[in-house]
Amino acid sequence: MAEQDLPLFVYDEVEIGEELGSYEYLLTQEMIDLYRKAVDDPDAVFPTIAVKHDATSLALAYDDQTGGINAGNEIDLHNPPIPGKKIRVTGRVHDKYVRREKPYLVIEATATDEDGRLIEKMRTYQIKKPEELGKKWHPQG
Amino acid sequence: MASPRLDSETLPVITKRITQDVINQFESCGILNRANIHNDPELAAKRLGTTYAIASGRMSIAFCTEAMRKFIGADDFHRSGNVSLKFLRPVKHGDTVSVHGQVNSRQPQNDGSTMVVVDVYCENQNGDKTAVGQASAVVR
Repeated sequence: MAEQDLPLFVYDEVEIGEELGSYEYLLTQEMIDLYRKAVDDPDAVFPTIAVKHDATSLALAYDDQTGGINAGNEIDLHNPPIPGKKIRVTGRVHDKYVRREKPYLVIEATATDEDGRLIEKMRTYQIKKPEELGKKWHPQG
Repeated sequence: MASPRLDSETLPVITKRITQDVINQFESCGILNRANIHNDPELAAKRLGTTYAIASGRMSIAFCTEAMRKFIGADDFHRSGNVSLKFLRPVKHGDTVSVHGQVNSRQPQNDGSTMVVVDVYCENQNGDKTAVGQASAVVR
């Protein structure tokens, strides 16, 4: 997927409710097979989890030099995606807040297929100060 | 059709061996094909100060969906499932992650179905919790 020159991500300037990148892609059987292998689950049907719809929406909207750590994820499943169908994704900033001096960004993406079937909603709670967690996890590093 | 396991109070335990290869495979399922803290140890070092890449928390979401699908049954879980996790510790190459769950409640719904809520957690080979949360689905 082509990425263009994007505005730099600045936490203080992002607004709650702001729309992020919208996009679509073709879900192939190969993608499902690769996902099943990665998660060692031959019956898995939501490779969309690994496509990271919400993070992809953010990456298509901003040049994010800060990065982030996922503090949490939440997914709502509505219908299994069908190989051979296009998946359409819309993303938005669901929330932002500061907790224990760490800036959190909550991004959300909604995925439907080309027939309008709702597939899933994914939310990610990102800490936009990743080095703080790195120190906690790896104090000798 | 609901799973016969549904009478149980505990989820089937799902155990996964984590290697950098499977982390890389998971990352390659994306559509942007770019380096990140999961597939690039140098970027992880720059952004996190770690000496290793870390597995995406979404891998734990995937493992929990497998456990819930096996507990609830695919038809119901794939149309009403929810998994919500808070990540506590990094998961990395060499770790073994297990998903555990205990039924928290079974809530009758007006249409005759039942909302099943499960407390879930993931732990590593040292017995340390790497993620905690809840999962749910409506069983018809």
